[in-house]
Amino acid sequence: MERDVSNFSLLVLIVFVMVPFTISYFYQLGLKKDIMWSSIRGALQLFLIGLILTYLFNLRPIVGIPIMLSVMITIATFHARNKGKELPNVFITILTGLIVIEIFVLALWLGFDMVSFTPEEVIPMSGMVIGNSMVAMGLSLERMKSEFGTNQGKILAALSLGATPRQASHITVKRTLNAALIPNIDQLKTIGLVQLPGMMTGLILGGIEPIVAIKYQLVISISIFSSVSISAIIVSLVMYRFFFNQNMQLVDLEQLQK
Amino acid sequence: MSQTIFELKSVYKIVLQDISLKINHNERVMIFGPSGSGKSTLLHLFNRLEDPEQGEIMFRGEPIETYRIPELRKNIGLVLQQPYLFPDTVLDNLKYGPNLFEDWKEEEVQTLLNYVNLPIDYLDKDVDDLSGGEKQRVSLARTLANKPEILLLDEPTSALDDQNIESIEQDLLNLIQSKQLTVVMVTHNLEQAKRLGNKGVYLEGGRIVEQGSLPDMIDHPKTEALKRFTTNY
Repeated sequence: MERDVSNFSLLVLIVFVMVPFTISYFYQLGLKKDIMWSSIRGALQLFLIGLILTYLFNLRPIVGIPIMLSVMITIATFHARNKGKELPNVFITILTGLIVIEIFVLALWLGFDMVSFTPEEVIPMSGMVIGNSMVAMGLSLERMKSEFGTNQGKILAALSLGATPRQASHITVKRTLNAALIPNIDQLKTIGLVQLPGMMTGLILGGIEPIVAIKYQLVISISIFSSVSISAIIVSLVMYRFFFNQNMQLVDLEQLQK
Repeated sequence: MSQTIFELKSVYKIVLQDISLKINHNERVMIFGPSGSGKSTLLHLFNRLEDPEQGEIMFRGEPIETYRIPELRKNIGLVLQQPYLFPDTVLDNLKYGPNLFEDWKEEEVQTLLNYVNLPIDYLDKDVDDLSGGEKQRVSLARTLANKPEILLLDEPTSALDDQNIESIEQDLLNLIQSKQLTVVMVTHNLEQAKRLGNKGVYLEGGRIVEQGSLPDMIDHPKTEALKRFTTNY
């Protein structure tokens, strides 16, 4: 029989919730309501996703997988867009980016038989790729805005020397890419040493041999690494254009927000 | 014979209102006036870092929009108020402009350094290790590396001490004379305007209040506004 967590055991999780709750109570942090609400909301959300997944897993893969992927990509796009709402075409850039990444990753997974085309494998793994790409795109957008703000003088200097917008924003794009890639490189360096990655932990708990779990973890970790890189590149290489007008002039960030 | 390089016809941009102005070949035009009168904006219009909201700018008799922007900016060099050097060495900064047009010649580096009075061993220095005055000199040399015909200077000495001001001014004078440059310079320093310029433009509240030849214009102002400005200076 598959291993399960009993309902009683789940109820005991309240003890874990009570720890931050008590801290908030004693130190009057004003977070009691937030702690309770986020715990209940989180639990309900997960159960709801559980029900949806059960439903989708029972559909034919060719129907269930595209539905779930579309929902995930749409939600992720809305979320990442918030980081750069004032920039034009940000929604379509992120949406296209996420679709391209998902197709690319899926093609590799399925093409080289790393993952089978079943909802049980494609959906959770795609979820991790899309989620990480969403975070990377949001961070790249934020970073790019701040780089354009702090380097305005240098960009102006480059333009005044005859640089095109692409040439003038080279340093800014480079720094944005660096900022997006370095944490991932670091994470990959210490993978398994500091903490066991989530998916591997899940598989081991589910009774899979550690060496098999590690293989899956490698597939997902490298896929995430690659998709995060693509995310940062797409955002950086597409979005920098919107900081300039057609006359190669720097657009005021405040003007963009209007 | 004076050949008109720039002609502004009733130009409006942010604070600037109804600016009409002619700049001729070999003129050294000093733009001065109180803060917020649109001096820097006016300078940015000349190499199209900004465009007018209304009015027209002619460059060598043609609307400025007819020129390709990168080449126009290369030809009309701008030195910004802050040096804004690119992170790397002095040499990398000097090569930046010419490299954009695949026009860098290693043998010209000595001449460039001579213009701004910097020793050759500065080439490999990291720009972060330079003093304020040295940074401004590199910024000037970086613009000169593009071999501009017209030089726009936005208060290039405003952040420097008296000693540095004097020495950069001297370099500028030598440079302007030796290269026969047309210069448009924004300054808040009237003495500097008299030392470097042969034409003055006084801006106040976004309008040209008075223009004339230097140093006469500053020594004998015609309008009340300029009289007030020179008295309070």
